[in-house]
Formats: sequence, C-alpha cells, structure tokens
Amino acid sequence: MDHYEELKNICEGRITAAPAELCCYAADGSQIKGKPDYVVFPKTTDEVSQVLAYANKHLIPVTTRGAGTGLAGGAVPVRGGILLDMSQMNQILSIDINDIQVTVEPGLVADKLNETLKPYGFFFPPDPGSAATCTIGGQISSNASGMRCVKYGTTKNYVLDLEVVLADGTVIHTGTNCLKSSIGYDLSRLYVGSEGTLGVITKAVLKISPLPKFRKLIMISFPSPENAGLSVSRVFAAGVVPSACEILDKTSVSILTKLDPDVIFPRDGDVVLFEVDGSSKNAVDESAELLASACEEISSSILITDDPVKMKEIWDARRLLGAAVSKLDPTKTRIYVGEDLGVPIQKLPQMIAKVYEITNEIGITPMIYGHVGDGTVHVGLFIDVLDKDEWKKLDIAADRLHLAAIELGGTISSEHGIGAARGMYMEKQCGSAFGVMKAIKKTLDPNGILNPGKLGLS
Amino acid sequence: MSFNKVDQRDLYRCVSCGNCRSVCPAFEQTGRESKNTRGRILIIRDVCEGKLDDASVFDSINTCTTCGYCAVTCPAGVHPPDLVEGARCGLVAGGKMTPTQMKIRDTVTQYSNTLGDAGSRLGWLEGTGLVLPENPKAVYFVGCLDTYRYPETAVNTYRILNSMGVGLLNDEKCCASPLLRLGFVNEADALMKHNIDQIKMSGADTIIAGCAGCYNTLKNNYDLDGVNVVTVSEYLVSHLDDLKKSGLGKLDLKITYHDPCHSGRHNNIFDEPRALIHEIVGKDNLIEMATIREKSRCCGGGGGVRSGYNDLSLAMAKRRLEDVPKGVDYIVTTCPLCLRNLRDAGGDIPVIDLIELIKMAKN
Repeated sequence: MDHYEELKNICEGRITAAPAELCCYAADGSQIKGKPDYVVFPKTTDEVSQVLAYANKHLIPVTTRGAGTGLAGGAVPVRGGILLDMSQMNQILSIDINDIQVTVEPGLVADKLNETLKPYGFFFPPDPGSAATCTIGGQISSNASGMRCVKYGTTKNYVLDLEVVLADGTVIHTGTNCLKSSIGYDLSRLYVGSEGTLGVITKAVLKISPLPKFRKLIMISFPSPENAGLSVSRVFAAGVVPSACEILDKTSVSILTKLDPDVIFPRDGDVVLFEVDGSSKNAVDESAELLASACEEISSSILITDDPVKMKEIWDARRLLGAAVSKLDPTKTRIYVGEDLGVPIQKLPQMIAKVYEITNEIGITPMIYGHVGDGTVHVGLFIDVLDKDEWKKLDIAADRLHLAAIELGGTISSEHGIGAARGMYMEKQCGSAFGVMKAIKKTLDPNGILNPGKLGLS
Repeated sequence: MSFNKVDQRDLYRCVSCGNCRSVCPAFEQTGRESKNTRGRILIIRDVCEGKLDDASVFDSINTCTTCGYCAVTCPAGVHPPDLVEGARCGLVAGGKMTPTQMKIRDTVTQYSNTLGDAGSRLGWLEGTGLVLPENPKAVYFVGCLDTYRYPETAVNTYRILNSMGVGLLNDEKCCASPLLRLGFVNEADALMKHNIDQIKMSGADTIIAGCAGCYNTLKNNYDLDGVNVVTVSEYLVSHLDDLKKSGLGKLDLKITYHDPCHSGRHNNIFDEPRALIHEIVGKDNLIEMATIREKSRCCGGGGGVRSGYNDLSLAMAKRRLEDVPKGVDYIVTTCPLCLRNLRDAGGDIPVIDLIELIKMAKN
C-alpha cells in the first residue's frame, strides 16, 4: 500500500492530494513557499500519533499547521511530505473557572475561545492581530502575542500543560494542571515557540485571566517617532504599566485614516496609543492621568477617552493595519519581511532611527507600528509586486534590519517566530545556545522529520 | 488559457493574512482551505501562471457564492468575487467547465431564463386586469425567478408599481447574471444587448429590479447610459407617501430581515428594506439577525453554488437560519434566490418576500 492509502486509513479518509488543495497549503503570510505531498486532517491524538509513527518509519517530513496565518513560513512544508491540518481538532474540552484554566484542542480559533469565556468574565489574554483566524496551537507554537501583552505577557505565560505527540508517535504531557509546578525541565516552555520542530501539540491546558472592568485609551501624538519611542520608558518610569502601548508612525496614521475615515487620529505627528485597564475606575483614571503627565513634555497632543465605541473603532482599525497599505496606494502591497524586530525599550528611539536610515538609503518607504511597550517594532515595507527591482530592495532592507536589531542587543523576532524566513540569523542571534537547540532537536527528532527547514536547524 | 479578466494587481495584492478565512461561508461549512478566499486566490495565481491545470480547481473556484464578505474584511482592499469570476471566465474561455456550468449556460441561452421554462415571460400578468401605462418613466424588471417560480410575488409587486405608473419591458429576458457569475461573458453579452435595447425602447429613465441578482447585474454590468437602476425597496421608499395613500396599515408582527449579498454588501442597500419594515411593524418589531448589513452571513445560494453544490448551499442556508432571533413571525428578504434557499433549508419560521409583508399590510 502506498503512503496515501496508509494515511487515508489512519485518518478515516480525511486526506487530500488533489493539486488544487495542495496549492492552498503552499504558503502563509510570508514569502516562503513549499507544497506538501499530502494534507491530512486528524481529529484525535491517536490519529496524530499514528501519522507520526508512520512518517518516522518512512522518513516523511511532517509539517503542522493551524490556520496558516504565520508570517515566517513556520507552517509551510518547504520539504514537502505530510501537512497536518489541525483545524478540525478545534474543541474546548473543559472550562474550569474555579481553577482559572481551560483545556482546548490546538485547532481552536483564538477568538472563539474568548467569545466562549466572555460570559464567565474571563479571557485568554495573548491577542495577536490574527485572533479572528489563528488557532491556539499556532499561537503556542510561535509564542504569539499582541497588543495587550505588555501588561499580560505572551502565550508562554499562560501554558500550564501540553499534550504532545513526539516524532515516533509517543504521547507525553509537558506539565500539570497546577498553576505552579517545579518538576525539573520546563518542557511546556520548550514547546512554546518550537514551531512544530519537536512534536505536535494535541491538547493544551491554559491559564485564563479575569476580564478587566474598566479601560481607558490615551492617544498621544509626538513631533517625531523618536519622541514616540521615548515615551514608553517615561511611562514605565512613572510607575504605570499600560495594558496596551502601540506606536503608529505618520505613514501608519495616514493608512488608518484611509482605512476608516470615521476613526479620528491626530494628524500632527507620530502617535502612541496607550491603554490602561483595571478593576477599579479610580485606579484606571489615576493611571491615565499619570501616563498623560509623563508624556506631556515631549508630546504634541493628548486625547483621553473611555467611550467604548470610540475605543473599539480605534483598536479594530489598528488590528487591520498590517496589510492595509494598499488602501493608501493600490499599486503597493505589504510584504512581510524584516517586520518583527524587538529591542530593549530604552533602545527604541535608536531602533526607530535605524529603520528610517536603512530604508532611506535603500529607497523604500517604511511604516513603523507595533507593541512598543514591550519593545516590538513592526516594520511595514511595501512595494509594487509587479516590479522585480523593488523585490531586490526589499530583501536588502530586511537583511539590514535584522542585523541592526541584533547589533542593538535586540531580537529578530518579537512574536512572529523564525520559520524559514529568519533561520539564517539564528547562529548570530543565539550564539552558542544555538548548538544546544540543535542538540535538543537531534534528541527529540533524530530522523529530522518534524518541520524540517525551520528555525535554521536543518 | 487567457485570464485577462483577472486583475493581476488585485490578485497579487493579497498577502495571505487569512482574515477572509474567518468569514467565508463555504469554509465555515467545509473547513477546507481550498474553499475559502485565501485558498482560492492561491489557486487562481497558480492557474494564471500555468502551474495548475486540472479538474481539482473547479471545486474551489465554483464553491464561491461571490457573497463578498471577504472583500469587506480584506485589509489589503482585494475584491475576491471579481477574481473568482475572472478565473471562471478564463477557465470557460479555455473550454474548462463543469457539467453544471454547461447545463446552466445551455438552459439560459436556449430559454432566456434560468429555469428552462418555455412559457410566456408575461404569463404571470394574465388575468390580473392590470393595464400597462404608455411611455412610463420607470419599468419593472421582474427577473426569472419571480416570473416563473414566484409569479404571485411578481403580481403583488407590479400591482403596487403599476399604481405608481410603472411599466414593463415588452420582451424582458434573463439579466444574464447566472452566465456572468459562471464565466460565460460572450453568451451574457447577447442577453444584455437585448435587454439594453428593450430598456432604450421603453424610454424609461429608471429600472426597478425585483431580484438582488438582477439589480446587481443591471447596475454594475450593464452600460445603461444614464438610466437609473433601483431595487423595489428603494423605489417604494422614494414613493412612500403614494404607498401610504394606497392604504398601508400596521401589522402586529415580529420580523427579521435577511440582507441579500448582491443588493446589500455589493451595493449598500441596507436601509430601504428596513425603512419599509419599520413603517409596517414599527422599529421595535424588526429584530435583527445575529449578523446583518455588510457583515451579514450569506444564504449560500449565489454564484452558481445552489445549482452546482446543492448540499453545501443548503448547509450554508441552515447556518444562516441559526442567525434568526427567537420569537419572530417571519423572515423577510428581498431576493427570490435567497428566499428559495432559506425556505429549502427547512426552518420553522416562514420566509417571505418584503412585498408579501406589504401586501399583508395593505389588506
């Protein structure tokens, strides 16, 4: 029997090798491409285990995918083989409010979890911009985060236990259902951000948080992007930990205005959207005032609102910013390369200045936005995709941006992951720790079947 | 194959972010990447680049209802229904089509209607006693479905419009929407030319479309040289005083309204049907569905999906019925295709055309 028939038997017919179907799994939001030979749709841990055991025996590459919203090619099967589409393992298995945790399958869409938790007054805080589409498994595998992670932390802070299928089909649990546990190596943390290179996550126990009762948005404009970057340190120094802290440079503001003309953004400079939240109105009001005072001296204008409609409009617009440049100029398309830099927050002004310096030299227009509260600098580069010369400029810009982040003591990826797009920088980024990563990979996946070609490991 | 109707810039503007995955009604039912917008765009790219050329393409391209929800949610401003229709055109031009597509093409070109009905296009008018006005300024474009499947809707609509001096075309034929949506642009041209000639001959400056699909086609695909195209609800709202004078009463009913994609999301006709419902049952008794207006879930009937993939189409319609609020007496819509698909999905609450509600209010 050939591979197709064997896999078909394991997954009770949930498999395809139709050319058009395979084509759909050959890309994510990055420029990495690679078609699988088969796409299978497992529904149980046992099916995943059988698929991996079979693949390991026959040395077939296996790439795991949630919703394919990644921006670094992490779920793109660059060496072909089996693509595990986990989106049919999408159930919430339990909600345990008294233990402040949920148990979910990896294909669950992030927003669906939060829609379900809302009536309980709880939420799962990590909030990537793709939350309407991306899956919990994908979030864990890339240690995704979002706008509110400056206060609440990233996905890794919420994973208590994972059920993982190893390369040979063995099923393990990485942690416990306890909120604290000190039982040797933290295997849950090892799997967070491992991008499917060490095993396949089939269940996750996640910590949840109470929803804050009050929120306030403070929209501040600055005369320069460097001042906007500087504001972050000032806010923290004033003793305020905002629940969101998003920079929008002038280009970003122009795009957002075009995207939704009804949403009012200041036109007089670069903007930082701060949000403070909490369970007491007084505390939230006080934080907003403190925050505004900390920025007053270096800002051009300050707007404070707690109007839920206005706040929702602004945040909804912000979430769609990434690809919205085409609304400003239909001949331009956002290309996700060099887009996910991060630096210690004190280095933000330098990183921002460096982005402009590099892109000016190369002759490409950038847009800078991102969760600057935790040092994330998203760089939006956009080109005419029908112009080959612009593609060349883009590659040069991405390379220089990644190197600049490393030189500033920063990271080549704050939250999007390495995938196949940034693997070439891992040695430089991690130094001798990269050798440890290689050793871990060799131990857990000796045949190298799990998501080969990723994290710069092979 | 030539894909000159696929806008290359639009095709490559898609950044594969996957936002569309969260709203595509076909994907919601199938869970298959090939049956959501992002997947379709990747397939169309490969087809246009000559990398993909087999029958597995059809089930992706032809399961799109062209509802356009993906276009609303696309941050990059891509308009996927145009890409899908462009791809269908290219495939058809290259002789690649499904048996269902061929059947629809043959039926519409042979009978000038989508039903394959050989009867008179004005059969519904017989016995009504209605007299056609001379030199009307506005004419009613009935559409195939109301003509042959729901003649009572055609009669009830025209009774009202006729009282406002509205006429009919001498020889209306299918608006060609099914042909255009499925990629048969050449065959569509002949029907469109015929209808344009009829409209010119009528001398009217306004066409009132009784079907969301006809409306979208007449408004956006026809070159009507200044002739205004409106929906029945738009026309009635603009003649509300006349409608009231004709004896429009109030009804003690709770109503919900289903926005047809081709009049709503594609053409922003959201307020007019609601204004008429408000007039009849009061604002408080129009209880909105879970998703409405530009974010309204598709009934699953459009884009040839009802004919080509009936099970999928009905699954989408059943999902749409889950959006209906509890306690309503009727689901009202303004498109006979939506009406048919929602009725076939088998819910407990009657689905009626807005004109039927108006008729009830006039009795």
